[in-house]
Amino acid sequence: MPKVSALNMPDVPMGLPSHMELQRTRVSCDKDAPTHTENVQASGAYASVGVDNSLRLDQFRKNFRVTVVRLTEDDMEFDMIGIDPSIANAFRRILISEVPTMAIEKVFIANSTTLVQDEVLAHRLGLIPIKADPRLFEWKDDNKVSNEKNTIVFKLHAKCQRGGPRLTVKSDQLKWLPNGSEFIDEPTTATDSTPATGSTPKTFTNFDHSQASLPEFANNPIVPKHPDIIISKLGPGQEIELEAHAVKGIGKTHAKWSPVSTAWYRMLPEVVLLQDIKDELAEELVKKCPAKVFDIEDLGKGKMKATVARPRSCTLCRECIREENWEERVSLRRVKDHFIFTIESAGQLPPQELFTEAVKILEKKCKGLLDELS
Amino acid sequence: MDAQPEPVSYICGDCGMENTLKPGDVIQCRECGYRILYKKRTRRIVQYEAR
Amino acid sequence: MVVMKAMGIESDQEVVQMVGRDPRYGFMLLPSIQECANDDIFNQKQALEFLDKKLKPSLYSSNEGKAFGVLRDFFLANVPVRELNFRPKAIYAAVMMRRMMDAMLNKDAIDDKDYVGNKRLELSGQLISLLFEDLFKTMNEEVKKRIDLGLRKSAGRSLPIENFITGDSITQGLERAISTGNWDLRRFKMHKKGMTQVLARLSFIAAVGQMTRVKPQFEKSRKVSGPRALQPSQWGMLCPCDTPEGEACGLVKNLALMTHVTTDQEEGLSPLISLCHSLGVESLELLSAEEIHTSNSFLVIFNGIILGKHRQPQRFATSMRKLRRAGKIGEFVSVYVNEKQRCVYIASDGGRVCRPLVIADKGVSRVKEHHMQELRDGVRTFRDFVRDGLIEYLDVNEQNNTLIALYEGEPKEEITHIEIEPLTILGVCAGLIPYPHHNQSPRNTYQCAMGKQAMGNIAYNQLSRMDSLLYLLVYPQRPLLTTKTIELVGYDKLGAGQNATVAVMSYSGYDIEDAIVMNKSSLDRGFGRCIVLKKGVSTLQRYANNTQDRICKPLKKGETDRKGDIEKMRILDEDGIASPGETIRPFDMYVNKEVPVNTKDPVDLQNVGFKSAFQTYKGAKGETAVIDRVALSSDVNNNLCIKFQFRETRRPELGDKFSSRHGQKGVCGTIVQQEDFPFSERGICPDLIMNPHGFPSRMTIGKMIELLGGKAGVSCGRFHYGSAFGEPSGQADTVEAISKTLVDKGFSYNGKDFLYSGITGSPLQAYIFMGPIYYQKLKHMVLDKMHARGRGPRVMLTRQPTEGRSRDGGLRLGEMERDCLIAYGASMLMYERLMLSSDPFEIQVCRTCGLLGYYNHKLKITVCSSCKNSENVSKIKLPYACKLLFQELQSMNIVPRLKLTEAS
Repeated sequence: MPKVSALNMPDVPMGLPSHMELQRTRVSCDKDAPTHTENVQASGAYASVGVDNSLRLDQFRKNFRVTVVRLTEDDMEFDMIGIDPSIANAFRRILISEVPTMAIEKVFIANSTTLVQDEVLAHRLGLIPIKADPRLFEWKDDNKVSNEKNTIVFKLHAKCQRGGPRLTVKSDQLKWLPNGSEFIDEPTTATDSTPATGSTPKTFTNFDHSQASLPEFANNPIVPKHPDIIISKLGPGQEIELEAHAVKGIGKTHAKWSPVSTAWYRMLPEVVLLQDIKDELAEELVKKCPAKVFDIEDLGKGKMKATVARPRSCTLCRECIREENWEERVSLRRVKDHFIFTIESAGQLPPQELFTEAVKILEKKCKGLLDELS
Repeated sequence: MDAQPEPVSYICGDCGMENTLKPGDVIQCRECGYRILYKKRTRRIVQYEAR
Repeated sequence: MVVMKAMGIESDQEVVQMVGRDPRYGFMLLPSIQECANDDIFNQKQALEFLDKKLKPSLYSSNEGKAFGVLRDFFLANVPVRELNFRPKAIYAAVMMRRMMDAMLNKDAIDDKDYVGNKRLELSGQLISLLFEDLFKTMNEEVKKRIDLGLRKSAGRSLPIENFITGDSITQGLERAISTGNWDLRRFKMHKKGMTQVLARLSFIAAVGQMTRVKPQFEKSRKVSGPRALQPSQWGMLCPCDTPEGEACGLVKNLALMTHVTTDQEEGLSPLISLCHSLGVESLELLSAEEIHTSNSFLVIFNGIILGKHRQPQRFATSMRKLRRAGKIGEFVSVYVNEKQRCVYIASDGGRVCRPLVIADKGVSRVKEHHMQELRDGVRTFRDFVRDGLIEYLDVNEQNNTLIALYEGEPKEEITHIEIEPLTILGVCAGLIPYPHHNQSPRNTYQCAMGKQAMGNIAYNQLSRMDSLLYLLVYPQRPLLTTKTIELVGYDKLGAGQNATVAVMSYSGYDIEDAIVMNKSSLDRGFGRCIVLKKGVSTLQRYANNTQDRICKPLKKGETDRKGDIEKMRILDEDGIASPGETIRPFDMYVNKEVPVNTKDPVDLQNVGFKSAFQTYKGAKGETAVIDRVALSSDVNNNLCIKFQFRETRRPELGDKFSSRHGQKGVCGTIVQQEDFPFSERGICPDLIMNPHGFPSRMTIGKMIELLGGKAGVSCGRFHYGSAFGEPSGQADTVEAISKTLVDKGFSYNGKDFLYSGITGSPLQAYIFMGPIYYQKLKHMVLDKMHARGRGPRVMLTRQPTEGRSRDGGLRLGEMERDCLIAYGASMLMYERLMLSSDPFEIQVCRTCGLLGYYNHKLKITVCSSCKNSENVSKIKLPYACKLLFQELQSMNIVPRLKLTEAS
């Protein structure tokens, strides 16, 4: 008798029993608490019922799908289907904290007579998103000199005339200085008397050539993403004069480098009617749901039946199962491997590029790990 | 080696006039006679971390 | 009885009649009548002679006739004696006796001294006028003394009086009393301390709260619970929540929101009295003793003086009240009919607490909708309501004659007044709490104490002020869940806190014992950021020998710098003063002051020796500050005075203290990256995680409702209200309404959200109660408190390490810790901690006499100075403090002798 795998035997029932399959693939959102939230990872978890739970690359390849639902300039919603929550979460985490952007890090204040304290002003400037592709810049560490490859310099000079009305300084008054800093760096200590290079006095940066001469920025000057962010307000006679230096960084060090307002996912809602819900009950159910998940199907002769029309819009308010006995009629579930992913970009990069960046970073990390192991 | 010591000026707390003072002068604005003067902001460039 | 006789009521029968004809009174008076008879006192003269003997004999004059003076001037001094008519005093004394005997017969008749109606508040005006009177009289006496002296010298010449009024004793006296707070007025036997306080400007609420404070004058040490307990009669007058914890608990109180404290009405006493008479009060003079306590009449007592009696007390009271409502007599005059004591009290004195109430006729409010419309249109003000007799002020006593309905409801015959708004029974501090009536009561009390420590806005002029210490929040917010009180006091404009999205769940284990877990990204974006402003003053003193402090230019590069001062002078300007905007590090100089070496003897002013007395910034190591402002002015003595304001901006760190508005304080336990934080289906990530164990034992249901209301508020865009007791009157949103809003916006009715773990990415196994709560950052910050030391300064006297953080002191191993070590038997550890690490010292001890010797360095021998030889001297180690003790004992003639044995 030839050896045949148990799985291939004709009389063995295939797959898991339905209730276990439900537990494996769905989070059930009950009235009091969600259950079966965790994912079963172990390959041999269902070995006793003869089911192989291991993850197979070809299976993954076959099942994995990404569908873009919505894409605008700043945000994007897409479905990521057939993936483990830990990987989806990894993308989310990388988006929030590891995709680099450019943000103002150093502020050189020459004059500020406003009510806004210097540190607060610097902090506010730091949080302004800057529309500059971080991939075009290099990392700058503390002992490296600022040059055109790692620093973007902005100037802000605003003055409110005496006798005039009060002035609101907004982010569009930040002017890009493609040639680097214009402030002269006076050596503070006697020992630090390196002679000024050439005839130009030493400034806070050391630009070889103008950033504007680069093809990327020639017709696309670097500006803050939003022109209407309020930086400060000036009373008559008050003045701000400063330079802000933006460098590359990641959200882990400070939230200002985070490329997203937020990025998150939710699992695909699945609403199942366990019984047929008819007539008054159906109307009641439709009325209950604030998210308009249910619809009524007219069966004729004044008979009605409730149907699940828009499960995707379920917000899990659990209003439909709040009252007595309704938990037996309606079941709210989440599909464990279907993620509705939303990326709200802060504006430095378009959301679709952010996601590819995140994928690249994860890829690089995996490669790094493999290199370490081998 | 260094430039002439520039006189330090002070701003009147009431009218905003700039006043220069010598040691021993009475603390009073020349313009309005207000008796509280504030020092002007430094001319040096101050550096802050935007955090 | 003797006293009554001395006052001219010679007949025993009349006295008994005055007290009352109840045989029980007569029975109780019998012993004193008997005693009188035994001592042969039958008429006024005998009585006075008897009393004269009782007086303390004085050296200078006989006691003859003195009792009469005492009776006239001191006995019941509040009852005026006109033309030696003692009758009012006698009646007063009789009524007092009657009350006393009532109390003996019937315990219910005892007055409660904690009853708010029996209390009077003393206001600043009264105190100042008393102080002034004392000072003025003192000055008069002095002037008189001086004039007498002058008259004696210059017989006959005219003396202009203004020459004798010299000095500024009144000004000085006022200044001294106000600056020290000690009211020492011998004339009025008043010795009060702490009468003035410096207004706390740590937060807006602290300042407002301090101005409503009521402090009792008796000492706090007494162990009686009565005055500390909550009095039912303080309803609406004094806040039931706002009282400090600890020794002053329940004694220090705060006024409620609408309380008014009456002031003395100088004029208008005699008109009021004559008004009473014309309203049918029968004057005392016209009444016989028998007639005073007739069964159909009530006594009328005006400000503690018996005016007479009235046969129709209710009618009298009603007409008085009508006159008051019509504005014919003062609005704060109270009329109170006491049925039990058969008295009508009319009070117009100062210091009574009273509050406004809406007048109702048979339960129907006099304030109608059109009145309210006029109020909204701005045509009518609160004063108009009082003037038009729609609202009146009632004091605690008069409230006993009323039936006050909480709300306008079904009209009932007996209802005379309606509360304006129940939330006004709370004070300013308790008024900030949303839904305080859902909280356990001590929690509200804790919040009242903590609201005063919250950072935020201090005042509109906060950036122009020069306080010695000021805490400000960088981005203060207005609470999402407000109350009516918040709007009334302006907390919504000068808030002290931020609305944080709070998830009530357990996270990471760093949230036990009320600690909170904070989101790092929130902190990056400015949550809980604060500004600390500190003041530094430098005065250029002028000295007796005409020398003066001076400020010097900073040293330049290349100039001789002996002590390495150039680095410290980094930020100094040309004038030797640091300028605003510069960052300053600890030990940086901010003013390069020099002080003359010799300040006493006359010196050549051209050639004065100076020594440096520069001032440096003292702050936490590694932290930098910025000079915010530098102000130059002259002080009282016309010296140049330079004030510096240093500014530090701090972001929250581990150990900083936060609190919600429900007495739930906690420190920041850990700061976690945003990606590790849980997130909701809508991508919301909390700012703060609070442990659910904070709820069961504290029972702060108000906080839960605040969370729900805040969540509904942000989702529907309307500020929700949580005023105290506000649900029936619409001043607070009900939980039902809030839940409905939540459901409409797609949240669960109970405020619990479906959250995903930020770490694993899977959903959490519970729905999490999440929403915004107003959080306050309290002024206690780790940076100001942290302290550790290895080696460091020591006290000169004992050579032990110094004490306290400010002196870089050591960490004490106290008695109880020592006990632990003894019990454990860790003797070597004890030896190290208590001696080697503290004050080890070596001494020479003589084995024969047991006294201390010394080591002679010249001869290199040890000597015992009492035995005068160098034999038998041993070297031992002991704490320096111990050696000090021996020497101190010796100095007071006690000989401590050390008996040494060889260590085995």
